[in-house]
Amino acid sequence: MGWLYTAPALLIFSVFIIGPTAYTFYVSLFHWNALNTAKSKYIGLANYRSLFGSTAPSFLSSAWHSLYFSGAMVIGGTALSLAFALLLQRGGRLLGAARVAIFAPHATPVVATSLAWVWIFNPQFGLADTLLRAAHLGQPGWLQSTTWAMPSVIVYSLWHEVGFTVVLFLGGLAVISPELSEAARVDGANGWQEFWHVTWPQLRPVTLFVVIITSISSLQAFTQFYEMSQGGPVYATTTLSYLLYQEAFVFFDTGYGAALAIVLFAVTAAFTLLQRRTGDRISRSS
Amino acid sequence: MTALPSEVRRRGLPRRRTGGAARPAGPAGRARHGRLPVRIVAVLAGLLFLLPFYYVVVTSLNSASVSASVSDILLPHWQWANYSRAWAAAPWPRLFLNTLLIASATVLLALATSLLAGFAFGVMRFRGRGLLFGLVMSVLMIPGTVLIIPDYIIANDINWLDTYWIQIVPWGASVFGIFLVRQFFMGLPQEIFDAAELDGAGRLRMLWSIGIPLVRPAIVIISLNVFLASWNSFLWPFIMTSSPDVQPVEVGLAAFAGANGVDFPALSAAVVFTTAPILLFFLFLQRHFITGAMSTAGGVRG
Repeated sequence: MGWLYTAPALLIFSVFIIGPTAYTFYVSLFHWNALNTAKSKYIGLANYRSLFGSTAPSFLSSAWHSLYFSGAMVIGGTALSLAFALLLQRGGRLLGAARVAIFAPHATPVVATSLAWVWIFNPQFGLADTLLRAAHLGQPGWLQSTTWAMPSVIVYSLWHEVGFTVVLFLGGLAVISPELSEAARVDGANGWQEFWHVTWPQLRPVTLFVVIITSISSLQAFTQFYEMSQGGPVYATTTLSYLLYQEAFVFFDTGYGAALAIVLFAVTAAFTLLQRRTGDRISRSS
Repeated sequence: MTALPSEVRRRGLPRRRTGGAARPAGPAGRARHGRLPVRIVAVLAGLLFLLPFYYVVVTSLNSASVSASVSDILLPHWQWANYSRAWAAAPWPRLFLNTLLIASATVLLALATSLLAGFAFGVMRFRGRGLLFGLVMSVLMIPGTVLIIPDYIIANDINWLDTYWIQIVPWGASVFGIFLVRQFFMGLPQEIFDAAELDGAGRLRMLWSIGIPLVRPAIVIISLNVFLASWNSFLWPFIMTSSPDVQPVEVGLAAFAGANGVDFPALSAAVVFTTAPILLFFLFLQRHFITGAMSTAGGVRG
């Protein structure tokens, strides 16, 4: 009987997720003809070999951009959201309002708000450069600069994402033992010592969770790159996800795009398994 | 399938839910650090996060050629014509209707599949239950970007490209939803269902009349999250659709931006009127979103 109840969900998963994942691997072995599937040619692992070829934008530079973006999101996002969570952990109207303000960007569509940030980074009329000019500071050119385009997208993405992870940390802070902090204070610990030796160790499971979901979601980020920089200038913001879109749906090299998808799948699966393994270990030891 | 959050979170990363996870860290006994500096920094941080919203609203009311002094770009000049220009440039009512229809249908389908499967995994005993649940959980390892190529090919084969179907059905099952419902049912005493069975209630009636009222909090959390994720998604509908008849509002906005990128006041106006509904939706229900997310993390013990 149970099978019957799980059938609708399993049917959707099988048809649109599990089956297609296997199908992606199949497609990645072909020089796929998007217009006439019957004309696709089996080429074995050639798509995977050309990952290391010299086409521009190359797989390796895109992988580096993905690492750059995800690394900044994980480190910057985790540090920022932990800091905000500690700042906002006490109750009260004002702090509650600040929580909502910080969470609000996360509820907005990336298409819409990344467009707003394109204008913020506009070199002539944008808010960022106008403020810099008023302060007589140099202007980095933001999205037009190969150096600053990625940091600009990261700033936007942190603004959009941090609210959610702040709330995750707040959830973690809400369930840690107040007795331990109490005891530390009685023993004369200062604020920093209390955080470092008492609060932080108890937040480790939540931190791990935040790190993993931020890694996975950053690897898949697409919309802000599409709206803010189109992978440029000169491929400076072409990440693996953006490359996948471009190869499959702009250049119609579906087989190569599928090979990229399999690489992304492998990395994501590794992160997910890592989370589960470390999660199990933590729950066993505690 | 939008960006950062949704691509992962549309399928969701379920965590164990503990009962009273969101214990408020009230002011009691915590007033050791100076509260005033904390408050000032918190208010400044909040305002900094709101600044882009303010800025886009002001930009939507300025003329394009406004000279770039700080006061000029931060004070509105009440150019309401930007709004009429933006409104006239695309079939917005239709796009809004499409989004609303797609998001609502996705919520209903995801609720139905989650309740049925979560009930089965949480209450019923059957062979292969563990195996099937493992299969459901394994879906989490598969990112949406991986699926876009094969699902496009499949949609093409079954003539689902450029339809509502391809925007609804693939997202009509949620790992997060199934997991949440299962956790709720596992937390209920089994005797409730045993007693109902003695009364001769069928399984489906049991779920409908006893189960659903008891798992209402899970229903609220699933509905809100699926709705928001569907409304905010971009990559999926962008690839799968091509005509405004079935496209959601975000894809319409992106197309508008592509065609009118230089008319930034009008584009800002479009950003404002397309974002306002979903932002208001969030603000009215922010308590549910925030406590939902907090209890997610409160349960993170591996």
